[in-house]
Amino acid sequence: MNDDYLWDKSGEPDPEIQRLEQILSTLRYQEKPLELPEQIRPSRSTNHVFLLAIAATVLIALAAAGLWLTAHRNQVPQNHLANAPGSNATPEPKIAEGPTAKPKVVEPPTPGDRENERKPHLAKARVPAKQVWTRKEQEEALAAKQQLLLALRLASEKLNEVQRRAGPATPVKNQHKVG
Amino acid sequence: MYELEATADILVMSTQAKAAERSTTTESIEVRLVRRALEGDRDGFGQLYSLYGPLVHGILLARVPRSEVDDLVQDIFLHAFKKLNTLRDWASFGPWIAMIARNRAIDFHRRSRDTVEVTDDIRGTDESSSRATEILEIVKTLPDAYRETLVLRLVEGMTGPEIATRTGLTPASVRVNLHRGMKLLKEKLGLKEGL
Repeated sequence: MNDDYLWDKSGEPDPEIQRLEQILSTLRYQEKPLELPEQIRPSRSTNHVFLLAIAATVLIALAAAGLWLTAHRNQVPQNHLANAPGSNATPEPKIAEGPTAKPKVVEPPTPGDRENERKPHLAKARVPAKQVWTRKEQEEALAAKQQLLLALRLASEKLNEVQRRAGPATPVKNQHKVG
Repeated sequence: MYELEATADILVMSTQAKAAERSTTTESIEVRLVRRALEGDRDGFGQLYSLYGPLVHGILLARVPRSEVDDLVQDIFLHAFKKLNTLRDWASFGPWIAMIARNRAIDFHRRSRDTVEVTDDIRGTDESSSRATEILEIVKTLPDAYRETLVLRLVEGMTGPEIATRTGLTPASVRVNLHRGMKLLKEKLGLKEGL
């Protein structure tokens, strides 16, 4: 078998290959006009990685802010009342000593409570949550807050890295599998 | 054995070798045409269609029934036009559309398996066409890498270097596929009819 002829049609022709070429050429591609509908255009390019990075950062920031606000809302009123001059509130925030210590306060129902029973959506809005945090819970909340802040910093760093790498019209060599 | 070697050959697609073999003229033409097409010039994409039609046709002819090939060629170029923005390296238009064609052929068989088995009618309109279809059916029994390369060489009339440039395979892989594929084809044809 003549490899050169098979490779680039150079050298001495191989009669068997020539015969095959002659027979199979009847199946050769015959160009037909390509019909591209007028309304079809190449889609606009979008940098999905960049958008995903932004979305992830925003989500993490929102989650961190939400958690921090929730934790802060339960702590600030007690501290604020305790430190206010002339306040009748108890001087120290009410913190249980251990996970098993749960204060139970039974009070007679007031007219406001009865109204709240009839309109539970109002009750939720008017009555502040009487939540007592143990020291352990406070420590856990603070640890969670620190972790979230760290995650936020990391996401921000990654976003900066993505921005640096993306750059303007950077040619990328690797191709996605399409189709 | 042959299939494993062929698969390995396909996987060894050294970009350095490709860059060395690919002529700068072809590269610049592809890049220019893709840019024109992305800017909305349909003639630019039409020229890409003319340039790469035989490649897509050959890839499909090696995998799907002949009666389906022409429609699939149109579908593939239409799809490529819509997704042209996802092509990051404009010089790699050939390997990109070749991959689309291979995936579309796989998809075709997956769908037809769910519905009805599609077979080629080997009774051609004349004797030469019938004989060509018969030989093509034998080529289709060869491993993927061999049949694609052989069809591009024997049916579409492309040379080995052209096949390498347009498919993105290394010239060495194409040469090996051509040699081994032709050897197998001759064996099968010898057993069948003595050509």
